[in-house]
Amino acid sequence: MDATIWLGSAFTFFAIGLYCVSRSNMIRILLGIEMILNAGNFVFIYFATQHAAMGVVDPLGQSIVFMSIVTGGCVVAVGLALIVNAYKHFKTVDSRELRRLRW
Amino acid sequence: MVIPASIYYLFTPMLVILAGILAERAGSPKIRDIVAVAVSALGVVFVWTLYSAVQAAPEKILVFSLGGGPPLGASFEIDMMGIFMAFSATILGFFATVYSYNYMEHDTRLTEYYTLLSALVVGMIGVAFAGDFFTLFIFWEMMGIASYALVSFRKSLWGPIEAGFKYMVMGSVGSTVLFFGIALVYGITGTLNFAQISTVIRGQPINLWYYLIFALFVVGFGVKTAIVPMHTWLPDAHPEAPSPISAMLSGILIETGLYALTRVIFLLFKPSFFKVTVSVLAALTMTLGNMLALRQDDVKRMLAYSSIAQMGYMLIGVSTGLAYGLMGTLLHVLNHSLMKGLAFLSVGSVVHETGTRDIKRLNGVGKAMPLTSLAVIVSFLGLGGVPGTNGFVSKFILFNAALGADMLLLVILGVLNSALSMAYYLRVIMVLLSGEVEEDLTAKEAPLLMVGVTLVMAVLIIVLGVFPSPVVGLASKAAESLVDNLSMYIGVIMS
Repeated sequence: MDATIWLGSAFTFFAIGLYCVSRSNMIRILLGIEMILNAGNFVFIYFATQHAAMGVVDPLGQSIVFMSIVTGGCVVAVGLALIVNAYKHFKTVDSRELRRLRW
Repeated sequence: MVIPASIYYLFTPMLVILAGILAERAGSPKIRDIVAVAVSALGVVFVWTLYSAVQAAPEKILVFSLGGGPPLGASFEIDMMGIFMAFSATILGFFATVYSYNYMEHDTRLTEYYTLLSALVVGMIGVAFAGDFFTLFIFWEMMGIASYALVSFRKSLWGPIEAGFKYMVMGSVGSTVLFFGIALVYGITGTLNFAQISTVIRGQPINLWYYLIFALFVVGFGVKTAIVPMHTWLPDAHPEAPSPISAMLSGILIETGLYALTRVIFLLFKPSFFKVTVSVLAALTMTLGNMLALRQDDVKRMLAYSSIAQMGYMLIGVSTGLAYGLMGTLLHVLNHSLMKGLAFLSVGSVVHETGTRDIKRLNGVGKAMPLTSLAVIVSFLGLGGVPGTNGFVSKFILFNAALGADMLLLVILGVLNSALSMAYYLRVIMVLLSGEVEEDLTAKEAPLLMVGVTLVMAVLIIVLGVFPSPVVGLASKAAESLVDNLSMYIGVIMS
């Protein structure tokens, strides 16, 4: 029962993230990426409780979640910097306007 | 557990940024460039000392962790295959850094540039040496973030920003999908160490979860590797990046993705499980890459599509599942890093001097830039697989291995593709050598350092094509350490 709720919400999170990435607003794309990452974090946190030894939650699952939050922050920083620059060049945050490079 | 001192090379991006800040304060920024070149040269020395350490170890594997064992520190397992990849990365990194000295001198923010470049190299070394998914993921992200920033380095132009945004979105969706796959593997096994995961998963009856994990890994690693349905970022990002970065991306970054994919799927699954999928992907990747390269007029964009095609050849070796095929793949990784690195650097010199990337306008530039054009010709002939260059050796081994594994259709497709690819390589060579230079183009020979680097790489291509045996021996040891000695690899780590 527990597994269904946790994994079910993780997969839902994953699907919502993928949907957001397929949209055209750049900020929404960035949030979608974060949601997919957090779906992974969800799964890690759930399984860390499942692989508990001697009543202590598995520290490995916890530590990778911390590290993934840090790297996710770095990705968002680079992504926002790119969005700011894209806005300077294209005067919009609509990713459909970024279609000048073709073939 | 002895920690080799040379592993602390992984912290050197800090040194570059420190030297950069101090040199800018002191008002002599050239010191920073020299420090960056010295650090990249140190990388080759570092891999060399690790190579001798691995050779001295009884089982030819070094296992240790940095900063305490998991879950606190990073764990490394260095075998011949990792050494081979790190060797390719540091050599190309050195050439790219030396080339940048002249190529980037008119740009600003060079402290950031050199720091990101050395972070890129260090990230690739970390991926090659990683012993668990934790370390792999951290260095994977480090490599990815450095490359997103480097692609869009010239932010005053709209092209790099658009290409960088596309690359950032696709690349980070790839890494997050990979992270989800790692989470599921952790759920099944309760550990992240490669060897321990391998003992739990490998050889188990395949169920739905394993198919899902395999798909997530192929998509996650495949985005950086530019396997065909996930390749669309590459033909934008490679031409828009500065030429040394194009060389790094095309020459070694996408191959690091292939290395990680190969290592993980070989540890998790038996070759019979992924053989068909990977060979279909190989056929698709090389055919589509070559077809699209044929119709390009932008020379750097053409080289980017040609990289996709070359990834297809490398996937042939993985799909055989044999040590011999994997040896072909690894050899092609090293050779491709030299050939495509040289192609991007020498074409970069042409672009740097003439200011155009349009093939139709480069008529007769070869007469004005004879040495650079010689390097272009050597690299293009190597990419086409002409005997006497190293590209021929590795392609021959790849197709031979596929014949040995009864994959005749893939071999026929590969040879046809090889022939097709000559069409666009020869076109550029013909344009460079024939006709007169256009009136408004100012073509003169590139600066000494840029010409020097390209000529050294051209000589290496010919030398490794005529005397391939030392690198073939190295590649064969590397491939055997993954395929045939898998049980030994696991045994060393478990003990």
